[in-house]
Amino acid sequence: MVLRIETNQKPTLKHLTDEELMLQIANGKLELLTILFDRYHVRIYNFFNKMVQNKMVSEDLTQDVFLKVIKYKTSYKNGNFAAWIYTIARNIFSTHYQKTKKERSNVIDDDTLETNETTVSESRQEELDHLQKALLKLSNSDRELIVMHRFQEIKYEQIAQIVGSNENAVKVKVHRALKKLKEIYFQTAV
Amino acid sequence: MTKCNEIQEKLSQFIEGDLPEVANSEVKKHLKNCDACQKELEEIKSFLSILNKNEMEIPSTKLKTNFEKMLAQEIENSKPKVVQLQPKQDWKSFLKVAASVAIIISAFLFGKHQSTITKIANAKEENKQEVLAMLENNSASKRILAVTNAEEFTKDDIKIIEALINRLFFDKNANVRLAAAETLTKFSSKEIVRDALLKALVTEKNSSVQIELIYILGKIQEKRAIKPMEKMLTNEETPEFVKQEIQINLSNLL
Repeated sequence: MVLRIETNQKPTLKHLTDEELMLQIANGKLELLTILFDRYHVRIYNFFNKMVQNKMVSEDLTQDVFLKVIKYKTSYKNGNFAAWIYTIARNIFSTHYQKTKKERSNVIDDDTLETNETTVSESRQEELDHLQKALLKLSNSDRELIVMHRFQEIKYEQIAQIVGSNENAVKVKVHRALKKLKEIYFQTAV
Repeated sequence: MTKCNEIQEKLSQFIEGDLPEVANSEVKKHLKNCDACQKELEEIKSFLSILNKNEMEIPSTKLKTNFEKMLAQEIENSKPKVVQLQPKQDWKSFLKVAASVAIIISAFLFGKHQSTITKIANAKEENKQEVLAMLENNSASKRILAVTNAEEFTKDDIKIIEALINRLFFDKNANVRLAAAETLTKFSSKEIVRDALLKALVTEKNSSVQIELIYILGKIQEKRAIKPMEKMLTNEETPEFVKQEIQINLSNLL
């Protein structure tokens, strides 16, 4: 409601909702994708980086997501944009996962060690690395639930839309995934 | 024990304040009396705080530049499609108009006499078609006339030249072949004409055509004619006056 009033007064592009922008993109105004890129690329990148734990791959996959947004723009039917773009991201992740099944285990460790944020104290960095490793021990479906819920702060309702389930089922699954992750984390002490 | 399991299932939602009122107070009540669940709650809380420390990483600037490149490319790709559609439609409607105009004109012309058509149409093209048609005429005199008329055309008119060569080889009438050879002399700068004249010298049986060919080949300085000419000289069947013609022209070639 609030948004509708805003747009009536001053229809600047930056104030348009994701859905309004995406509908215009679907109608051929491709240049508007820049706005959606600015809104989503960090989140999508972090989703991939948590899932594959490789910065370069994550950047490539993020780029892929936006390419697919253009490719499948006409299949967007006015639904929740976040749910739609995460659905694309999940598909891209699973394609990537299938492709790299064999080589995967070797790649992961090197990349996580490259993280050198100077602001992070050494012990905290260790803590984070430990968490990353624990995350990788989860199944893909458990990991993505935690990534979406805890790191991306996506609401249960939306996660349910993205993974094609219902809200209550997602709540239970997220809780169980968290419990598993906690156990893995504390079992293998820092 | 089952009670504890049930409670623990709800703990993360309890922390988030996401539980319905009844369940919420149920968990609270249980926690007061159960150390194990209390401990589990603390563990989850501390673990969640570790999880919450996790900050969003910022991707490198390469991601943005690559995206912009990709988007520019996609916009470029989508443009021609849109632009092309318009002229295509114009082109189509133009064709429609042109076609209807052509139909009207041809209908008009069909109603008119042959002579009118000749005047309107390109005179030279018409003439060419006429000559080509006449070269196939049943009357030998008409064919001779056509062969002579063919002189007017340039050496680039390959259809005319081919038709003349055809006459030179296959016309039943010697006079037509003779006229064809004569006309072909004009186009002797063309390799296919020289080849044809040379070949005709070997295959031609009529002596007056032979004499003409010998004369032409000498005039255009076709050195490849020397051998067949010498052969003809040694051939007993070659008439004397043909041999004389060969001797005159052979000296020019050597």
